[in-house]
Amino acid sequence: MPSAIIEASRIIKDYGSFRALHSVSLEVGTGEFVALVGPSGCGKTTLLKIIAGFEEPTSGELKIAGSNMDGVPAAKRPVRMVFQRLALFPHKTVRDNIGFPLKLAKTEKVEADRRVRAMLDLMHLNPSYLGRYPAQLSGGEQQRVALARALVSRPGVLLLDEPMSALDVKLKKSLQAELKNLHRNLGTSFVLVTHDLEEAMMLADRICVMRSGRVLQVGTPSEIYYRPVDTFVASFIGDTNLFPVSIANGQGGSVAFSSPIIACDSAIAPKAQCSPTIEGDRASLLVRPEAMRFVEAGNAQPFATLNGKVEEFFIKGASIQFRIRVDGHPVPVVMDLPGTPNIPAAVGADVTIGFDRSDVFLLQE
Amino acid sequence: MRIEHKSWRDPLLIGATVPLALIMILFFVVPLIMTGILTFQSSRYYRLAWTWDLTIWRDVFGHSHYWVVMLRTLGMSLACVVLSVLIAYPVAYGLATRLGSLRHHVTILITFAFLTDTVLKTFGWILVLDQNGVLNWGLSHLGFEPGAVNILFTPTATLIGMVYNLAVYPIFTLYLSLARIDRDLQLAAYDAGASRFRTFFEVTLPLSRPGLYAGAALVFVLSLGAFLEPKVMGGGNAPMASELINQSFSTRVNWPLGAALTLVLIVIGSASLALSAALTLRRRGGEQGRLSDVG
Repeated sequence: MPSAIIEASRIIKDYGSFRALHSVSLEVGTGEFVALVGPSGCGKTTLLKIIAGFEEPTSGELKIAGSNMDGVPAAKRPVRMVFQRLALFPHKTVRDNIGFPLKLAKTEKVEADRRVRAMLDLMHLNPSYLGRYPAQLSGGEQQRVALARALVSRPGVLLLDEPMSALDVKLKKSLQAELKNLHRNLGTSFVLVTHDLEEAMMLADRICVMRSGRVLQVGTPSEIYYRPVDTFVASFIGDTNLFPVSIANGQGGSVAFSSPIIACDSAIAPKAQCSPTIEGDRASLLVRPEAMRFVEAGNAQPFATLNGKVEEFFIKGASIQFRIRVDGHPVPVVMDLPGTPNIPAAVGADVTIGFDRSDVFLLQE
Repeated sequence: MRIEHKSWRDPLLIGATVPLALIMILFFVVPLIMTGILTFQSSRYYRLAWTWDLTIWRDVFGHSHYWVVMLRTLGMSLACVVLSVLIAYPVAYGLATRLGSLRHHVTILITFAFLTDTVLKTFGWILVLDQNGVLNWGLSHLGFEPGAVNILFTPTATLIGMVYNLAVYPIFTLYLSLARIDRDLQLAAYDAGASRFRTFFEVTLPLSRPGLYAGAALVFVLSLGAFLEPKVMGGGNAPMASELINQSFSTRVNWPLGAALTLVLIVIGSASLALSAALTLRRRGGEQGRLSDVG
């Protein structure tokens, strides 16, 4: 990781008797894109507000660009925020909204105008919008103006508080792509708060998964997806398969597991596919839906198989999702196959499904 | 909700609006027309004479006495507007942003004070401002000489009474405007590098303008008609327009004169209301001001 621009260590935040953050530590590297992800109330927005300077931590230390931020007001921090509801000034034109930080910094008029226009260009906004008011713009355009206002004074860190949660899917996708592009071109550090792990995985270099005021895991999108620390992180992205298994130490540090519903000749997972936090003789076996496939009799058998009945399937376009009821498992097993016009199995069909050893991961139940 | 053009044919709607329309016509429009008609007549030997000429209007605009009273009324009203708004703004700001759970208690207290009979409150001020009143008694205990404050029965006292009775209007209109401002807008200003002071003038004050204009217009219009305060606290030394009108009708029995002065006052009041509405409704780009902005 490059040198850290944000160093938050052991941040505690209490609201009365409620502890919103339990000793949270996080580092954001210069030029890095970090996403804070978690369900509502997990403390991700509180952490962002502490970084922005809108909230004081109860205890702990926050350094930005090497300086301690104790008692430094929001106005004096080298960070800018894009608000969830954007917070564009309704009584100011696009020009005055974007130029507001420059006006406060007493930037010379010609220079300020040049930079406002440059931001407009960067955000692919038409220069004729300069004289408009925020209410005259579409949701996506308002979004860009908010980004432009936050970036115009070239902050070291851009904080984004779920700025895309109110947009429709198509617009969201295009803005996400733009945001990623923007980050690559500017070299500014981005910290994005979102409850959407998929969005975080698309955009961020590293993801910090939070729950109930604690950091559960910090890692690259791949680490979060394939090597989650616990079942909460594993299932946060949406549908996934977690099978409860009994485990025992195998040879060479590998772990042997067994489950009454999984048929497997040598049920051994290499050490690298086991979470280091596993304790006792119970664990959860994680198999992502896209690692599952149908097994036809006579063909080569995969590492492990399950028998069940197709309960439902959904055509999602690029993929088809099957939900397969397996006796002895409380929830349907989820399987994503590449999209095809020929549906391989009908509802109610008895099927065998399987997965490979390289696709399993064992983690604390 | 969009009102369809055919709504005037809706018998229910007509049934609901006709009584109100009739009452408004009968008790507002008709008297206004009668007042207008009166101004073209004259008064002779304490009796109304149907002359149909412009004598009264020439009197009203030709006599310096009327000008003095009207200008004094305007001056007092403007001073009252400025003072009321200056007092109301911090109160409304505190109510909207600072008081938290105490807000409702304070609102109830202000409402009770507002609902207390104005005559009582105005006479109450005499007890405070009198030479031997509460204020001077307090000041004398602080080492001032007895009767240090001697403002009762002066225009200053009138102004104090007017501001006291009318400041509650801008408090509520400003409160409604301030409470609607998204807190994130102020945070966004801090984030952009603005001090609290700057944030107030760049964000809070401009966004509270609807409440400011509405409150100012209410105070101004009600000040124009102030009758009690000049009479009770001003001691009648410097009469304002309403006193003049009252005298024209009751003492001098010159109804045409009273009617003309009344119309002048109504025109000034309406103009100030129109100005306030125009300022509030002024189209600021897409941010279409609405009367609902003030509640």
